[in-house]
Amino acid sequence: MTTLRNERALLWLLLLPVVGFLAVFFLVPLSQVLYFSVMDPGFTLKHYTAFITDGFYWKVLFGTFQTAAFVTVLALLMAYPLAYMVVRLGGAFATTILLIVTMSFWTSFLVRTFAWMVILGNNGPLRAAMEMLGIVPAPQLLFTRFSSTLAMVHLLIPFMVLALYSVMKKIDPNLTRAARSLGASPFDAFRRIFLPLSAPGIVNGCTLVFIMCLGFYVTPVLLGSPREQMIAGLIGQQIEEFLEFGEASATSVILLAVTLTVFALYNRFVGLDKLWG
Amino acid sequence: MRITLALALLVALFVLGPLLVVVPMSFSTANSFEFPPPGYWLGYYRSFFGDERWLTPVFNSIGIGLATMLLTMLLVIPASFAMVRQRFMGRSAINLLLMMPMIVPNIVMALGYYTYFSQLKIIHSPLGVVLAHTCLSVPVCYLIIAASLKGFDRNLERAAMNLGASPLRTFWEVTFPVLRPGFLVGGLFAFIHSFDEAVVAIFISGQAASTLPRKMFDSIRIEADPIISVVSTLLFAVVLLAVLSPLAWRAIVKARSQFRAA
Amino acid sequence: MTVFDRHMNALSQTHSQGVVMTQAYLEIRDLVKSYDGKQQAVRGISLDIRKGEFVSFLGPSGSGKTTTLMMVAGFEMPTSGSILLGGREIAPVPAHKRNIGMVFQNYALFPHMTALENVGFPLRMRKTPAAEIARRAAEALDMVGLAAFGGRHPREMSGGQQQRVALARALVFGPDVLLLDEPLGALDKNLREQMQVEIKRIHRELGITTIYVTHDQSEAMTMSDRIAVFSQGVVEQFAPPLDIYQRPTTRFVGSFIGDSNFLDVTRQNDGLVAQGIGALNIAAPSQAGKFHGLVRPEAIGLWTGGDEQGHCVLSFLIEGLVHYGDSVLLIGSAAGLNLRARLPSVQASHLHEGDTIRIAWRENDMHLIPVQ
Repeated sequence: MTTLRNERALLWLLLLPVVGFLAVFFLVPLSQVLYFSVMDPGFTLKHYTAFITDGFYWKVLFGTFQTAAFVTVLALLMAYPLAYMVVRLGGAFATTILLIVTMSFWTSFLVRTFAWMVILGNNGPLRAAMEMLGIVPAPQLLFTRFSSTLAMVHLLIPFMVLALYSVMKKIDPNLTRAARSLGASPFDAFRRIFLPLSAPGIVNGCTLVFIMCLGFYVTPVLLGSPREQMIAGLIGQQIEEFLEFGEASATSVILLAVTLTVFALYNRFVGLDKLWG
Repeated sequence: MRITLALALLVALFVLGPLLVVVPMSFSTANSFEFPPPGYWLGYYRSFFGDERWLTPVFNSIGIGLATMLLTMLLVIPASFAMVRQRFMGRSAINLLLMMPMIVPNIVMALGYYTYFSQLKIIHSPLGVVLAHTCLSVPVCYLIIAASLKGFDRNLERAAMNLGASPLRTFWEVTFPVLRPGFLVGGLFAFIHSFDEAVVAIFISGQAASTLPRKMFDSIRIEADPIISVVSTLLFAVVLLAVLSPLAWRAIVKARSQFRAA
Repeated sequence: MTVFDRHMNALSQTHSQGVVMTQAYLEIRDLVKSYDGKQQAVRGISLDIRKGEFVSFLGPSGSGKTTTLMMVAGFEMPTSGSILLGGREIAPVPAHKRNIGMVFQNYALFPHMTALENVGFPLRMRKTPAAEIARRAAEALDMVGLAAFGGRHPREMSGGQQQRVALARALVFGPDVLLLDEPLGALDKNLREQMQVEIKRIHRELGITTIYVTHDQSEAMTMSDRIAVFSQGVVEQFAPPLDIYQRPTTRFVGSFIGDSNFLDVTRQNDGLVAQGIGALNIAAPSQAGKFHGLVRPEAIGLWTGGDEQGHCVLSFLIEGLVHYGDSVLLIGSAAGLNLRARLPSVQASHLHEGDTIRIAWRENDMHLIPVQ
């Protein structure tokens, strides 16, 4: 059938540009990273053995995991009551809160990172307040693990709120009412009905935030402690300062592998197409 | 309930507060990051609008963003039609390919582009940044356009053909005009994605093609240049305007209809 | 010339040719549609539809009625079989060259065009001069009572108004056939009835050959000249509404349309025997040995005594009553069979659950359907 053949031809005509473009400008550079991680100039695994045998790298990897997990949990604990109240109260309250969250969401990471630089800075309001409260001398806030973690929570909370909200708003409010009418206390109704139904939002939000945190470059580099790098910052340093492309590639492959593992787990249990809803 | 509300309000304050800090900073007379500012003036605004070192990155970012938007739409729109409307072998593999740039951490791609574009001799050029940003913008643009395509009622096309429109005319008279808003939103997201992208730009844009995020990054890291607060305020103002204007528009329309009814 | 005149002319021409009226105008021959090469959505349908006829495709969802319609409109390619319009094969003709008007389930009005632009669209596609487009589109809107709404966009109109625009749009270019795909499904009950009348009026005025797809049996019964009952990809019966109701040819048709009681009837020797009742005094059809005996609940009445000749009289235990206001449905059992009987309310006022009463129907009211 000619029409069928024409349809096939049209199909590939539509797909070819983007597939070709991504092959040349995405897959090739990505495979180069894999390639350089095992070449110097001949085949070698030394970049990986260096990573595995050196305690410093393990510390970076572990620290990155720790920070990502901590930021995720903190963002969830803060975002959940906010999203919950937005859904519960609705009206002008919800509009205002969602407005604030979207505003933060769309404001550049760099602008928000700069804001934290000011707030936590040596001449900033937080240290001034501490000194007024008698904590003299106020501790150094900027360029610590505390400052980068706090800023990352702030940067990623909007993602968490929006992920939670999009699931929560679809929960029929009559379900908790039904639970109440059947004798559940407000807390029981929340714990046994609302909380489990909002679980997909929790999983989505946490996955998104955790993954973004794992590969976060800008904020930890600008606000974090130079002694306690995260893995993306380490890669940047290997490129920029040491020009060690082999090591940078190996570190990148490890970061990529970790990220893909998280995605694969998510895909296995939830399905990747649901992440960006 | 009351405790939850208090908690929610505190979190809202935590989200909003830091955004507001940058505004007074931009009017500050201090030449370092001091808050609250010792005095106010407009001096840094004047410096910003007269400073090539800041204006060039702004224009670079806009140009690169527009080019990225155009290229991304040209690639993604046709592909979305194929992906949404056809079932074929290899469809899920292509779907994965289209989403990959969102999955791979940007710092990994920054390294990849750094070496690859050096070989191609397009590192530190606007072209290189556009090509990289286009790859990174494909997923978000695809998600939006595919969603609007899925929501498209195919009976509209059937109706057009039934009424005598050839397939090509059906596309131009019905399909395209109805989907245009979705396409534009997809394009807008591609632009914003490029305009905000920092990591890849930091490594491959160089001085010549420096984008605004790269300039801001350098400014915070190396120079502690107070003009950064002006740029931040302006960017925040753009977001504020964009987020509030639909709301204001709705209020105006509502007020007008009430006025007419009265 | 208005839309109306054009159709009347076309109609009078066929009238003058006399014989044409009884001949098939739209012929569907052995139509088969399969999406995956294995399962068939439409399994060999043949229908002859006469010029000016109002035909309903009635059936549950997934019965193949919409697929058949889509093949007539040209949106689905038949796997095999043919569709002839006025004697000409149209299966290979692309949708936009068929000159068949269609009203879609959710109207499919173009959201970026006004009502007038929507109605003018088919004329524009036919390269009609602008002035004529404006005039004819306005006329068509006037025909459906929306002359004043031409400047509105679909989203600014109610469901009923959108429906009328869709109708005007499907008729303005003088199509040979009008297809309606569950056009009233999204409207509430009052509006539905109003639109049914409107569609019938337009059909009467224009005399256009019409196919109406619906899953609502009462809609099909009240509107159609003939009904094609679809089930699982085949047409079970194609006949006028009353025939469909009184003389269904398959058990499916009997049960899908109206309320029904089925009794197992078998041929024994030369007579017929009904399960639980015994020998029947009706002429046995020539075919087969087994039948479904269909008795409509409203054919069953209270037995007040007298000559039982020609009647089936049974003792009936009432297990439930459903009041409809004008009538009462009795649900119960008689002679080991579950039966439903519908009585006028005035006759049933003294009946209660648990009562045992005498019921009867005339043996001739039992319709026999051969078991396939």
